[in-house]
Amino acid sequence: MGRINVPDLAFGLFLVGVGALALVLISDLPMGTTARMGAGYVPRALAVIIILFGLGLGGRALLAGHVGLPEIAWRPLALIAGAVGLFALLLPRLGLALTSLAVVITAGFASHDVRFRENIVVALSLAAFAVGLFVYALGLPLAIWPVR
Amino acid sequence: MDLISNLATGFAVALTPLNLAFCLMGVIIGTLVGVLPGIAPITTIAILLPFTFTLPPASALIMLSGIFYGAQYGGSTTAILVNLPGESSSIVTCLDGHQMARQGRAGPALAIAAIASFFAGTVATVIIATASVPLSWLAIKFTAAEYFSLMVLGLTGSVALAHGSPAKAIAMVLLGLLFGLVGIDVNTGLPRMTLNIGELGDGIGFVPIAIGMFGIAELAVALGRPQDRSLLSVAVKNLWPNWLEIRACLPAMTRGTAIGSILGVLPGGGAALSSFAAYAVEKKVSATPERFGKGAIEGVAAPEAANNAGAQTSFIPLLTLGIPGNAIMALMVGAMMIHGIQPGPQVMTAQPELFWGIIASMWLGNLMLIVLNLPLIGLWVSLLRVPYRILFPAIVLFCCIGTFSVSNSTFDIALMLLFAVAGVFFIKVGAEPAPFILGFILGPLMEENFRRAMNLSRGNVLVFLERPISAALLVATLALLVVLILPAVRAKREEVFQE
Repeated sequence: MGRINVPDLAFGLFLVGVGALALVLISDLPMGTTARMGAGYVPRALAVIIILFGLGLGGRALLAGHVGLPEIAWRPLALIAGAVGLFALLLPRLGLALTSLAVVITAGFASHDVRFRENIVVALSLAAFAVGLFVYALGLPLAIWPVR
Repeated sequence: MDLISNLATGFAVALTPLNLAFCLMGVIIGTLVGVLPGIAPITTIAILLPFTFTLPPASALIMLSGIFYGAQYGGSTTAILVNLPGESSSIVTCLDGHQMARQGRAGPALAIAAIASFFAGTVATVIIATASVPLSWLAIKFTAAEYFSLMVLGLTGSVALAHGSPAKAIAMVLLGLLFGLVGIDVNTGLPRMTLNIGELGDGIGFVPIAIGMFGIAELAVALGRPQDRSLLSVAVKNLWPNWLEIRACLPAMTRGTAIGSILGVLPGGGAALSSFAAYAVEKKVSATPERFGKGAIEGVAAPEAANNAGAQTSFIPLLTLGIPGNAIMALMVGAMMIHGIQPGPQVMTAQPELFWGIIASMWLGNLMLIVLNLPLIGLWVSLLRVPYRILFPAIVLFCCIGTFSVSNSTFDIALMLLFAVAGVFFIKVGAEPAPFILGFILGPLMEENFRRAMNLSRGNVLVFLERPISAALLVATLALLVVLILPAVRAKREEVFQE
């Protein structure tokens, strides 16, 4: 691993993967001819070019000299993703008010300088604000409280 | 005079109380976003996009454009006072603007930034109004081949402007094009890459991608970086620059406006590039270049004029040709399509009220901005004291509600989450999301025009070179690519992005 540019290699492999997946998904679509293209013509051409780019970038990464794995701050990533997931899971069941509370409290912990009491106050005010703005002022069709 | 009657039509639309209110709301939100570091205008427009669906199209577009050029004003405030660019186009304003603030001249620096922006905004509005009509005549001559070539040029332009490796940016464009093709093929009615998921039949939603990549992903990455927001606690007094300073700035403002107006129109151009270029030029022509970086007032006036002019003239390709030149314009296309407006030259003739209304609102918005920015500067500065840990949970919540409200489906939230994770991956491997979103928007349009052109020419690829306008556009693309690959330019480009 000593001489490999890891981010470039990862991106190259990603491109190859996406291109290959696309080729599989469109394998049953007709190509057509250049004059009368079928549904599969352009996507297939794109997928092939993407794979070639992936191979090129990945190949270059093997020779390009060492660049290590980029630092990923897992805590904010996991908590923000978790907050978004909670929103999708809870909204249809709990309504906007309680969902907002859960989302804001979860997301709040993504920051290193989170303060517990402040986070609760922020969550309560944002939940009230969201209900007021989106349901009452903008009239979005959202349930405010848990649906039975 | 056509121009005058057109502008009269526009002002009649822009001056209705409803549109004035949305213009004001747009520029206020824009200023806010510009002032607060860590919230980009593109994120804000993506988040607010779904909430504009219920508005009349003109009001929605007036507000969204206000956010964009308003952010250019707000960004300079943070740049000057805190030495933090609230906005990528304000990076160069930090250099001399913050030095001026340290020397106790924060007032004149802020004032000249606002004046230069207003001057540039006024000129750019006139340029948009005058250039639009002839350009739309040209656009009527466009067939599928020209449209395809123009989009190739636009995508190449977005690659040229991406930070980092051009190869990665091209790969991102290609990925965007591919993802844009998910859904039912319009020509044959066959589903493509839909994984048999019903929701994907109409294609991947534009809002979940934009919010996921620009809202959630950027946020998650930004939170991993240490935050430094020590505020320079200078009292902003005696706002007005003296005559000597204004005289020194006039030519700088004019040059900045010219540079910004030209670079803004170019595909891939826009506010950030314009401000860099204007600063470089100003330093070159100055008799005393050694003052730059130490509080030269021209070093504030020129880039501020340029970024505002560039922000506004980047609307020209969108409004006249229907081609977005940068990622923010891609969001505007998304907004137009959601309102049932197919962007392109026909907008001007079919919906003159909408077209000229947006243009007129830009000047009104600039006028509002100068009023908002100068007397209310203290208010904006105090906003900088709001801790980020309070702001970002609100952003997460609004991203979720915004995405959900497009079609009331949690499927879109799942998509947003997926693209947020992908966005973090892209940022971490050094591939920028902006070319992706442009490719995504242009994908279906490009395929349609490519297929139509090939259909008409019976499969002869040379058709793109046989038609003069198309050939010229492709030659320009090639020139751009050559310039990108040339080592000298690459070094220079890296140097610019380093600053």
